[in-house]
Amino acid sequence: MRPPADAIGTLSLIVGAIAILIFIGVEGALVFAIWRYRASRHVAGEPATFERNKRLEIAWTAAPGLILAVIFVLTLGTMAEISGAGVTPAMRIAATGHQWWWEFSYGGVKTANELHIPADTPIDLDLTSADVIHSFWVPELGPKMDMLPGITNHLRLFARRAGSYEGQCSEFCGIEHAWMRIRVVVQTQSEFDAWLGLQGKPRTTVETAAEKIFLANICVSCHTVRGTDAKGTAGPDLTHVGSRATIGAGVLENTDANIVANMRAWLADPQRYKPGALMPSVPLSNADLDALAAYLVSLK
Amino acid sequence: MIAVRPAVATNRTLLGVAIFVASESIFFLAIVLAYVAYRDAGLATAKATLDIGRTAIFSVALFASSGTMAMAARAESGRWLAATIVLGAIFLTGQGSEYARLLGEGIGPGSALFGTTFFTLTGLHGLHVLAGLVALAALAAANRRSRRAVHPVAWEAVGMYWHFVDAVWVVVFSVVYLGTLL
Amino acid sequence: MTAVPLWVRLPGTERVGWLRTVDHKAIGVLYIGMGVAFFAIGGLEALLLRAQLATPEERLLDPETFNQAFTVHGVTMILLAVVPLLVGFANYLVPLMIGAPDVAFPRLNALSFWLSLVGGIVLYFSFLAGGAPDTGWFSYAPLSERAFAPGTGVDYYILGLAVNGAGTIIGAINLAVTILLMRCPGMAISRVPLFVWMTLVTSVLILGAYPALTAALVMLLVDRQLGGHFFDPAGGGQAVLWQHLFWFFGHPEVYIMVLPAMGMISEVIPVFSRKPIFGYGFVAGSSVAIAFLSFGVWAHHMFAVGLGDTENAIFSATSMLIAIPTGVKIFNWIATMVGGRLRMTTAMLFAVGFIAMFVIGGLSGVSLAVVPIDLAVTDSYYVVAHLHYVLFGGTMLGIFAGTYYWFPKMTGRLLSEVLGRWHFWTTFVGFNLTFLPQHWLGAVGMPRRVFTYAASTGWGPLNLLSTIGAAILAVAMLIFFVNLVRSLRAGEIAGDDPWDAFTLEWATTSPPPPENFSSIPAVTGRRPLWDRKHPELRDAP
Repeated sequence: MRPPADAIGTLSLIVGAIAILIFIGVEGALVFAIWRYRASRHVAGEPATFERNKRLEIAWTAAPGLILAVIFVLTLGTMAEISGAGVTPAMRIAATGHQWWWEFSYGGVKTANELHIPADTPIDLDLTSADVIHSFWVPELGPKMDMLPGITNHLRLFARRAGSYEGQCSEFCGIEHAWMRIRVVVQTQSEFDAWLGLQGKPRTTVETAAEKIFLANICVSCHTVRGTDAKGTAGPDLTHVGSRATIGAGVLENTDANIVANMRAWLADPQRYKPGALMPSVPLSNADLDALAAYLVSLK
Repeated sequence: MIAVRPAVATNRTLLGVAIFVASESIFFLAIVLAYVAYRDAGLATAKATLDIGRTAIFSVALFASSGTMAMAARAESGRWLAATIVLGAIFLTGQGSEYARLLGEGIGPGSALFGTTFFTLTGLHGLHVLAGLVALAALAAANRRSRRAVHPVAWEAVGMYWHFVDAVWVVVFSVVYLGTLL
Repeated sequence: MTAVPLWVRLPGTERVGWLRTVDHKAIGVLYIGMGVAFFAIGGLEALLLRAQLATPEERLLDPETFNQAFTVHGVTMILLAVVPLLVGFANYLVPLMIGAPDVAFPRLNALSFWLSLVGGIVLYFSFLAGGAPDTGWFSYAPLSERAFAPGTGVDYYILGLAVNGAGTIIGAINLAVTILLMRCPGMAISRVPLFVWMTLVTSVLILGAYPALTAALVMLLVDRQLGGHFFDPAGGGQAVLWQHLFWFFGHPEVYIMVLPAMGMISEVIPVFSRKPIFGYGFVAGSSVAIAFLSFGVWAHHMFAVGLGDTENAIFSATSMLIAIPTGVKIFNWIATMVGGRLRMTTAMLFAVGFIAMFVIGGLSGVSLAVVPIDLAVTDSYYVVAHLHYVLFGGTMLGIFAGTYYWFPKMTGRLLSEVLGRWHFWTTFVGFNLTFLPQHWLGAVGMPRRVFTYAASTGWGPLNLLSTIGAAILAVAMLIFFVNLVRSLRAGEIAGDDPWDAFTLEWATTSPPPPENFSSIPAVTGRRPLWDRKHPELRDAP
């Protein structure tokens, strides 16, 4: 099986080549006509008066028609290929779009914003939305597919090489549509299995003072941390948030030297980084913020 | 002198009204298609609450009014015109009472999908009937003032619109009411 | 006869003034004035958007302001600028071109202008009433439902578009009846200027497409104000119904925007090639084919919605099919120029520019008909590039061509050719610099309607280039406005027929008298004025 991105890439090259040829031909004819027949070039006498030629009309109607027929046949072929028909997916992942974050569920194991998949494996995403229309698009991995409330769409993913791939929501979904980024991490099968195993476990830290701060505040009304009493589902599952590369669906990095500082900054004022996001700013003391940030980062 | 009846193909007013009617038909088609697309979800409610018999009676009034309008246009008759207005008003009153009954049972545009589609489709039609009644009344008033000042084409033009409103009801009644029998 | 500035003396307004005129020429000018004003406003909105996007993670505009700006920019350019400009030219020219004294229903004509304008004012009033709509010019449900757009912006969108649409529908009825029933003796439908043909076809498109938009707007209003469920999945409705209805209108709408401009250049090119249009029948016939097909391609805006491969394939086929009659026109225009004596006036420059840019837009359009390519680049800047190539590179350049060509007829004065050349070349450079890079931005992943983008994406440099292009375009428009104002005041006097043209509008004074013609001219062919001036060179019947 070929990655859908490759199939689309090949078709794009063919269509692009045809387009360039047509471009050169037509624009060339236009430029030629202007240069050759400009009035300053000629002396007296009236210009030609021919104004019809049925054969020519038929020819330049039929020729594009033929070219388009060829392109259409190629289109049908690529459509069949990228839909993944005839290749059973090794795994189905449920993806739900929210304003403005991504929920991924691996057979019930929930995570958010960062999708991990094994390389060289056909995967089907089952796409839906919890609110408005979103669209899942990671250009290097293939086409996009919209996520509609009340409907389940399907997208075939197939990545050859391990690595990190970026994408973004591609259907205007409200104020923070621009910051609904996707990160897809393609791993070897064993790395992926280890990751999924870890994601499935409840949180690894024992209950600490920092965790008590988390549980005592309104965080729990929106967020889940498995292993605690926090079971909110309006916001991303935070059980392993510390292992994710970004915060807020891409608006802040989670992997540089200031890992705790970024988390703290986000907690102190999410509206500063993602104005309009549905997470409110909760007034907390500086000490509480420090503890909470360290706690969340520790949830690997 | 033999009066030549104005024809759609040569009279500007009639052609204009005909084109308008064609365009409005597309509008109603879109609403009807939405109703049909959503029909299954609301069919149970439709069957339980719609009263075909009663609405049929009021529908007959509207259909008859097309007949009286045709008579009115042919003879440029104020009497037939008045009959048309009365029949049209009977239809609207019937619609109104149907609305009152449904709203009393808790079915409105916001209640469930059937309510939304039913009230939108029949409501838009009702608004078009109302506009038609206004046009008929204007024609009647002008005719009362001075018969000769009313151009023959006005009778035809208003008649064309009125027949259109009637034809739309044929479709709506069939799809919404008779459709519950399927 | 002295030519007096436009606002001092315009036939049709002398006795009743601008507010109460029912003369098609005055109403045409009103429409054009509305279009010019909203084009400027829409352009300022675009500059704001481009300023915000010039650099990554820019904070010039907050997301809410940006989202309102791009929503209103789209509605403004499409419904308040381009359509009124085209309808304005049609209003002014069609009766003149067919030898008629006015349109079929002059008072309805005035009504349709005022409705169009009021619709625009209602939309802009939203800025003062709690915020403009911010859900995109096509306002997809359920984002546009009360739950997700709780303010009044979308309600103003609904009301503004409905009122504006009513004006456009009435205008289309008027133009259709005028063309069908008011042609002067000898002006068979097979002899009317191609601009008239295009106006007729466009009117049919309007009458078939706008009702679908009205229906969608009514349903959205029922949802928002009466608690309806048309587009509410929780209540049994479907979000996708909005898209079907909207695009059933939306696709013909783009042909409504392009066909009249194609009609304009179909007038300009023959006159400045000094040859009759090549393949009149095919240019006219292809527009009928386009109109017919345009009602069968709407779901190519929805390839990524999940309708299924079969549906997608059907719409892919129809979308490719519609490229054929479009190509036919381009070949016919070039063939008109071959063998001619080309006078490269500003009008001709813009007409040629239309062809050059429309080829690019048309090719990117065909690529979007290829479903797998579309699934990659739809909803990205590739589409933004495509639509601006056909609507700006195409329609707007065509309108500029028409402006330079017909301004003398409307005002009695010529626009400056020197400033015109500056206008053209600055536009050409600025336009391509703005939109060519956007093809690439879309292909590498930049989605539409984003108020900013991460620095790590690397999209910064091309965005900056695009913004510089937009600034150059702004300069080009300034040059144009200067040309307009100066020429209105003191442009060279044009006379009846400054271009030695072919069609009837040039057979009367500039500007024409209130009744258009002092005597109805005889028509025996497609170039009645040419036949009169050069009987020895008249067209073969």
